[in-house]
Amino acid sequence: MSNTSQFQQIASNLPNLAHLFRWFNRGRHLNRISEPVLWEELERNLDDYVAIFTALGFDLRLDGRGFAWFHQDDGSSNTNKATRQLALLFMVIFDTQADAGIPLMKFEHWRIDQTLLTTVFEQHQDLLKAEELDLSGLASLMRTAENFGFARYDSGAWQLLPAVCRYLDHYEELASQVDQDEDVSWASDQDDEDNSL
Amino acid sequence: MSSDYGFQQLVLLNSAGYERAELPLDESVSLIAPNNTGKTSLINALQYLLIIDKRHLDFGAHDKDKARHFYFPSNSSYILLEVTLPESGSVVLGCVGKGFSHDYAYFAYRGPLKIEEYRLDNGKLVTQPQLLEQLAQHGRTANFYSSTEFAEMVYGGARKRGQTSSEFTVFRLENRKDANAYRQVLTRTLRLDKLSSGEVKRHLLQIFSRQLPDSVVDFKQEWDKAFAEVNQDREQYRAAKNQQKLIDELERQQEERLAIRGRIIARRPLIDDGLERWQNHYQTESERLQHQLGKLQKQEAELLQRDREQTRRQSELNQRLEALIKDEQRRDELKNRFALVNDRSQLEQQLASATAERDRQIALLSNAHGQSAAAIDDLIRREEKELSVLGKEQETLSDNLYLTLKQHISEDQLSVLNRGLARQLLTLPPGDYQLDPNQLHRWLEGMAADRFELPGLNLSVADQPLQYQQRSNEEISRLIDDCESRLQQLQEQKAATLEMDTQNKRKAKLEQEVKGLEKDLEQFDELAQLQNSRPDRLKEIAAARQELEEIEHAQEQAGAQQQALREQIQGVANQRQTLDAAHQEIERGRQNRGDTDEQFNWLADLPHTPWVGDPELPLDQLAQTLRNYQQDCYQLKELDRDLQHRRITLHSGGLTKFQYAPNPEEEIRLMVEFRHHLAREAEALEKKARSAVVTVTASLRDLRGNLQSFENAMHEFNRLISRRKLSDLKVFRIQPVHENHLVEAIDLLIQTAEKVESGESFELFNQSSVLDDRQLDQARQLLIDEGSARHGLKVADLFRLTFELGKENQDVESFDDIDSAASNGTVLMAKLVTGLAMLHLMQDKSRNVQALCYLDEALALDAANQRSLIKTASEFGFALMFASPSPLITAHYCVPIQQLSNGKNHISRKHWQILQPLETVEA
Repeated sequence: MSNTSQFQQIASNLPNLAHLFRWFNRGRHLNRISEPVLWEELERNLDDYVAIFTALGFDLRLDGRGFAWFHQDDGSSNTNKATRQLALLFMVIFDTQADAGIPLMKFEHWRIDQTLLTTVFEQHQDLLKAEELDLSGLASLMRTAENFGFARYDSGAWQLLPAVCRYLDHYEELASQVDQDEDVSWASDQDDEDNSL
Repeated sequence: MSSDYGFQQLVLLNSAGYERAELPLDESVSLIAPNNTGKTSLINALQYLLIIDKRHLDFGAHDKDKARHFYFPSNSSYILLEVTLPESGSVVLGCVGKGFSHDYAYFAYRGPLKIEEYRLDNGKLVTQPQLLEQLAQHGRTANFYSSTEFAEMVYGGARKRGQTSSEFTVFRLENRKDANAYRQVLTRTLRLDKLSSGEVKRHLLQIFSRQLPDSVVDFKQEWDKAFAEVNQDREQYRAAKNQQKLIDELERQQEERLAIRGRIIARRPLIDDGLERWQNHYQTESERLQHQLGKLQKQEAELLQRDREQTRRQSELNQRLEALIKDEQRRDELKNRFALVNDRSQLEQQLASATAERDRQIALLSNAHGQSAAAIDDLIRREEKELSVLGKEQETLSDNLYLTLKQHISEDQLSVLNRGLARQLLTLPPGDYQLDPNQLHRWLEGMAADRFELPGLNLSVADQPLQYQQRSNEEISRLIDDCESRLQQLQEQKAATLEMDTQNKRKAKLEQEVKGLEKDLEQFDELAQLQNSRPDRLKEIAAARQELEEIEHAQEQAGAQQQALREQIQGVANQRQTLDAAHQEIERGRQNRGDTDEQFNWLADLPHTPWVGDPELPLDQLAQTLRNYQQDCYQLKELDRDLQHRRITLHSGGLTKFQYAPNPEEEIRLMVEFRHHLAREAEALEKKARSAVVTVTASLRDLRGNLQSFENAMHEFNRLISRRKLSDLKVFRIQPVHENHLVEAIDLLIQTAEKVESGESFELFNQSSVLDDRQLDQARQLLIDEGSARHGLKVADLFRLTFELGKENQDVESFDDIDSAASNGTVLMAKLVTGLAMLHLMQDKSRNVQALCYLDEALALDAANQRSLIKTASEFGFALMFASPSPLITAHYCVPIQQLSNGKNHISRKHWQILQPLETVEA
């Protein structure tokens, strides 16, 4: 009882509670850049929000790089599919940009327009076709990314938002694992060599 | 580094569930008690004395009212702190309950803290009302203070009641502004284990805030402020530029208006005067013309009358003259006729003889008698016919039809035929007829004696004479002779008759002659008379002709006169008409003066161009001038309307800059002036836009500079907390990390401004490009959005703090949240060090007054860490108090909490255990 009334009291001080809940509950990420007002509110009352969302069974995560989301360990199959496709989307984009020698950490400054998407598509045709994605499918994936708060559309082009860091972190993690594996294998080779010596 | 000055002991009497608690604070303490036996409440009691400000008191889950009940159940509940200060030696800071209200009062006095002094003779604790008196008995001069006064005393605030500022000052801060932050951190030092990352950031910012003056930047406001004027000016400039034609027209109209006003002002009195003069002039002139016209018309009438009389006389004379001339002609005619007659008697004689002859002729005729010539001719023709018949009878006397018939038919039958057929037929010679006597005889037999029948015709011949009687030749010859004698007589008679006509004609002629002569006589008499009257007549004719000639002459003259008169009348009438027309027009003008509006009364006060026209107004020009004047008036009104309208159009076109001019005239003048200086305005605008960019970035530069200062300060801070090794951490840093999108936006704007300032991109960087540059605009928008979400940008918004931890042989890792960074013990230490370092930063380093720092759940730390912490705390000027269920041997004091049978807690000085290294003891 006391808990409920306590929450009610807290909630009454959070004018955007419902809005933020709907936002996060749709699997959407909140980015500081694109939603400064909501972000400020969330940041200011973070403890209250965390308390309420936790009580509701949601795990609100807030990344210092300026984005927040409801964390889910096991997403529904639908989300999984979207997540997988988005992972592919961001990967091909990052890959294309990396090939062009563009620093990846400044991804927020990229203008992802039709030209870039075309280049991306041309460079990763095989991969994308295997996932049954064509150029327009790529664009519609960008719109999906927009819906999940990974990108925003502004004057003819998409801009990636900090939430993409979640994917980038994953890529780096995977990459470092691969590196470690490689290191290990290399080390073991060394060992072998040492042994041989 | 233990200090001689600082907290000595904390004593609770009758408070927080303690009957009595004496706690040493001059060295590290291990407070020993099972969980939930009031360790924390003991420490929290210090808040009343050190935090003071009720708003900042923090009792965790308990609210402040409950805490008040808990700490001050009666008016003999005490929280007492003994502090040794460099300036005033031992002082006691106390807080005593006020009784029923559970309120409390602050007091302080110099001197050591002796619990006995609070005990009355009857062994009871002294109550708040008697406290000062009781202390005075023991030679302590104590005073009560309000919480504000008390706080100011403890933190070295304003001087009160003649006290030296530092008498009771426990905490001397390097900067008094820090007091608030200090108190807040201090609150936490009593529970440093609860310190969160957010609080660290907040406190650090508070601590460093004095290095970051006025660090809130409302970028939008700054931008708007800097560009407000530029944008305004630019709008005005554009509005003026787009409406140049309109303004030119406005200028033209205004000039026209000024000129018209000048003209109206100059002409108005002339017109007034002119109108007055006109009225007189019109009356005089009008009367004069009327009079003149009357005179002329009268003359004309007279002339006409005379003319009419003359005409009448003329026709009279003409008639008379005609008659006279006729008489004269008659005379001439008669005179010709009777040219040969000298005397009347001659004519008379002729008449007498003619009359006599006529009378003779009449007598002659009366004798002659007889038939008329025609009758005689008739008789003659009859006699000649009888004669020819008789001749033929004589020829056929021997053989004719009658004789033949006589031979063939009876007497009766012959008689019928003789009565039925003509004589000439019966006397036809044989050659002229054919006779069939049988047939004739048969026909005649069928007939009655006195009837003559023809087929279809039955005639009675009873009374018819016999046509033919057979005569003898002698008879016939005698008859022929008779007939011939009568014929002769008749022819003589006829000749006589013919003679008689001639006689009659002669008679008529004679009578005619008589009549002519009588007439001649009469005419002769007439001639005589005409002859007699002739001299008179000739005279009369001459006179008449004379008069006619005169009349004609007079009429000719009269015609000319009349013409002249008529012209004169026409002239006067024309003059009159002209005058009237002029008057009407002037009158119309006077009735409908265009200058009746209010504004014409103070027109002279309005701006105008002085008129340099003729200052005189001749009356003959009045109408024209009035007309022009009226036109001017109407035109002025029209111009007023036009200008007003145009001004409004310009306003709605955006040119509102001069709307607040004192009057519309001035506004128009300014508008026109502005339009003339557009080129210069454009230049000024460009300059303004540039300086606006520079201005707007000045505040950003401050912000950016503050961020830099903060980073420097953080560097110092990190040095402070890294001095001592924490647990197994090689690296422990609190690192500010830029909020990149904001810092980059700021940097972009600053760089742009620098370019402008240095004039490097003078040509590239014009005002339109500064406002239209997409990247720049995004940066601006970002700062505006963030600023408005946060009610202004602060340095704190530009970075977040991360905790960087690095263990031996491991990479440094960053954590947003300190709690998740490492093991419990490590985190605890990290928090403690951070908190103490923050407090240390704020304190006046030249004055060491050791305070207290409390750490719960101290068992999480191993002994080495405990020692390390104690040392670190001591270096920062704090004595560390560990709370744990079992004693920690690293502390100086071990103080157990005892539970009494009455349920109250108790700590007595007697139970304090002092731990010292054996070497020291041995020494």
